[in-house]
Amino acid sequence: MALISIPLPAHRSIQFNFSSLNGTIRLLSNRRVQLALMILVPILLLTVFRPFLPIPGPLETNLRAMTKPPSFVHLFGTDRMGRDILSRTLAGVQISMFVGFAVALLSLTVGLVMGTLAGFFGGVIDRVMMTITDIFLAFPSLLLAIGLVSVMGTGMLPVVLAISLSDVPRFIRLQRSLVLSLRSRAYIDAARTVKASQMWLMTRHIVPNTLAPLLVAASIAAANAILVEAGLSFLGLGIMPPAPSLGNLIRDGQTYLEQAWWISTLPGAVILLIAISLHFLSDGIRQVLDPRSRK
Amino acid sequence: MNELRPIRSALLDVRNLHTHFLTDKGTVKAVNGVSFQINQGERVAIVGESGSGKSAMAMSLLRLLAYPGKVVSGEINLEGRDLNRLSERQLNEVRGRLVGTIFQDPMSSLDPVMRISNQMIPPIMRHLGLSREKARAEAISWLDRVGIPDAARRIESYPFEMSGGMRQRVMIAMALSCRPRLVIADEPTTALDVTIQAQIVELLKELTAETGAAMIFITHDLGLVARFAHKVGVMYAGKLVEFGPVKDIFARPRHPYTQSLLDTIPPVDQLERRRLAQIPGFPPDMKLPVTGCAFKDRCAGAHRRCFEVAPELEPRGHGHAAACWLPEGLGAGRQMERALIPPMEPAADAGEDRVVVEINNLHKHFTTRSSLPWRKPPTVRAVNGISLRIRKGETLGIVGESGCGKSTVARLLLGLDPATSGDIFIDGMAQMVFQDPSSSFNPKMTLFNIIQEPLVVTGWGTKAERETRVRELLGQVGLDESYMHRYPSQLSGGQRQRIAIARALALKPSVVVADEPTSALDVSVRAQIINLLVDLKQKLRVSFVFISHDLLTVSYISDKIAVMYLGEVVEYGPADEVFNNPAHPYTQALISAVPIPDPEAEEARIQKPLSGELPSPLNLPVGCSFASRCPKATDYCRTHKMVLKPYSKTRETACHYAS
Ligand SMILES: Nc1ncnc2c1ncn2[C@@H]1O[C@H](COP(=O)(O)OP(=O)(O)O)[C@@H](O)[C@H]1O
Ligand code: SF4
Ligand code: SF4
Ligand SMILES: [Mg+2]
Repeated sequence: MALISIPLPAHRSIQFNFSSLNGTIRLLSNRRVQLALMILVPILLLTVFRPFLPIPGPLETNLRAMTKPPSFVHLFGTDRMGRDILSRTLAGVQISMFVGFAVALLSLTVGLVMGTLAGFFGGVIDRVMMTITDIFLAFPSLLLAIGLVSVMGTGMLPVVLAISLSDVPRFIRLQRSLVLSLRSRAYIDAARTVKASQMWLMTRHIVPNTLAPLLVAASIAAANAILVEAGLSFLGLGIMPPAPSLGNLIRDGQTYLEQAWWISTLPGAVILLIAISLHFLSDGIRQVLDPRSRK
Repeated sequence: MNELRPIRSALLDVRNLHTHFLTDKGTVKAVNGVSFQINQGERVAIVGESGSGKSAMAMSLLRLLAYPGKVVSGEINLEGRDLNRLSERQLNEVRGRLVGTIFQDPMSSLDPVMRISNQMIPPIMRHLGLSREKARAEAISWLDRVGIPDAARRIESYPFEMSGGMRQRVMIAMALSCRPRLVIADEPTTALDVTIQAQIVELLKELTAETGAAMIFITHDLGLVARFAHKVGVMYAGKLVEFGPVKDIFARPRHPYTQSLLDTIPPVDQLERRRLAQIPGFPPDMKLPVTGCAFKDRCAGAHRRCFEVAPELEPRGHGHAAACWLPEGLGAGRQMERALIPPMEPAADAGEDRVVVEINNLHKHFTTRSSLPWRKPPTVRAVNGISLRIRKGETLGIVGESGCGKSTVARLLLGLDPATSGDIFIDGMAQMVFQDPSSSFNPKMTLFNIIQEPLVVTGWGTKAERETRVRELLGQVGLDESYMHRYPSQLSGGQRQRIAIARALALKPSVVVADEPTSALDVSVRAQIINLLVDLKQKLRVSFVFISHDLLTVSYISDKIAVMYLGEVVEYGPADEVFNNPAHPYTQALISAVPIPDPEAEEARIQKPLSGELPSPLNLPVGCSFASRCPKATDYCRTHKMVLKPYSKTRETACHYAS
């Protein structure tokens, strides 16, 4: 499930600058990034402009077109209430993307702050934080999410929180190890000889140099969150029907798999595409950051 | 006598070797037509700047090049067989059997998860056709000969259980154990301390003499060349530009590059301190085609012909060859230029006797985590009672083997670590210049922000004033203002070190602590940085603490020297006195280990390298800390501690038997 095991490029000097134009160009000229964008950008555009497309709304039923296979009228076919699967898939993607983005942002922010504090100050803060993350990491992440959702009830917010709960400890650990490897750099020592404050060291020297690897991890976390959300919804623990989350769509179609394959398969394929391209994206960022990982 | 004609007895005869690296950005012509011969039992040193193709050339001989590298053309005749035509399988027979290799990083040739025995015995069995028991005995005897204590037991250890010096010895034993005809050593001692380096060089000398093996020895240490080599090849931009007997090359270098290289070394004779010569500019980009002589842009003797036609390696008599249009290179012109170098001003100015740094009885103990919770955790005594004073404008050199506590003293001085006990008084501020040019700067900051950081942090001046100050600092360290908006990754090693110096000087500190500031630099760039430090010292009257294991450089730049051993200062005094007339047995050993870039002088020196390695600072001996390695140690030394005592009017030393 949510695996964030990336090699840490921070052991070497990272010469890549996210803010610089040069860096962006190098990122965009990477094969994997191009491939990822070629898949993600159209899906995103379709999702954003769905209300303006000549397709029915995701909740609109049509009793004259029930369980129709893909055709020019309904590209992805319809379900047994005559709802347009393409429309529902795009609406589902919107929810999935939101969940993915929210989880990535939440985990990254919390992980960044807590991991920096733990790695930079060490001592008691570090030991307490590491014990807590150890406990959380001991549980399988899906189990943790199921537990939390059954306590907090279903819906968007519980799902986001539940998935983040298992990602945050990983981000804390990642950030902590990045900070530890940076803490003994000569430039930190140089700043300390002029009595720079702790705040200065963290914000000027440490955090900027951890952002790149954190972003790689965040794009993987987003991909995983989309899959976990689908899993939760599939189990009936995620977004409640009739809201068209991708997991719900798959579950809907599951019983008719033999008569109407398109109801679950096509949304499933879209999830897969999104997850794969997010992984490509993170791979691409990593390659640009760490030229040695190229063959 | 035409010495370039192949000699019939030549063991190795390389002809017109070309090696290219086919990279994404273009073809790097790393070796560009190299020819030379090596006779049996001959030790040939290859010198040159990093990137000049030394390693690529050596690796080409056995086709050991890393991925994009390829031997494009040339003959490599070893005992009459062209290695370049052998199949990979035939070549594998040659590797290890006929040719042994030793690299700078022993871990690149040792398998970290295999016992030494499993790495050494099978090749011996295969190549020498011995039974397992015989091969094992042979391996143990080699380990014994390279000075591995308790070899019969140590053969079963893993590489990670050994120190760097030990691993290097194991690698030498492995390289020699199959009695190769030729040994290729690529910077085998660069990462090691002078004392260990001296041991290993002696060892290599003895063992190759014993087995009659020839040797190719790549190094950038000209002192080592003088000590070790019979012949020298100087490489520049993928070509041999000079080749000849070692004494001849040092006494009468013919190529301007060799001449400049020799002038960049700090002179051993401290009475005549002059500025070091430096080679301007950078070596050419080996991806681009070169018209004419590759050295022309940096050569004082360059003339029209140099820009049109590349000179070939031509014989100059006595087995000496050089590739330059001028028969004597810079010749007489070079002598004039050297005479023009202004002499250094006398170091200590009268009246400026203010002490800016005073250290009294400084201790730093590190408590390591105990392996068993109920045991008392062991304490490392990194600094064990040091007292020193530094006057305004004075440079104090600190020397000693790695692990003796030099860098700990630096960190304590800079206030980066708290002292366990003792005091440090600094009149003003201490700033630093560190060794590692890659981790010295935040890669996300422009050079402008890097240099002005100390000013910003301390709230110095307005924005405009800071910018003026940064410009002034860049000028002081000899960099153009256009560098302000670049990033550290766009700079060369020498330029980075200039930036580090500019940052250190920003707040006008009273003392700058430089920890191995030139160790990662090439010889020619090193001379530039040393000259810069000397200039700054004279101009700004700032004091320096110069820490290095390069004794020649330390004694050149320093006014006073402190020799450290196991966290203590064992000798202290004026640099030239300590260097030319050491009183403490450890200083004597250290200095005799330093190779002097003069083959005649090297020949006259008696080599008795210091045996053993620095003992662990975990359990310090009761008596004199040097007793375990001291040739003069007595029982009295082993039981009675010695402290630093006046030795002469200007010097102090810590030995019962000095004076
Ligand atoms: N793996 C490689 N890929 C591309 N270029 C390389 C590679 N290895 C070495 N080079 C280039 O070959 C030239 C010679 O390198 P090297 O033999 O390592 O020089 P030296 O040993 O004298 O420092 C340099 O320009 C270097 O950049
Ligand atoms: S050939 Fe010309 S440029 Fe080259 S080293 Fe000789 S004098 Fe200098
Ligand atoms: S006190 Fe004894 S052991 Fe120590 S340096 Fe002097 S002679 Fe050697
Ligand atoms: Mg090399």
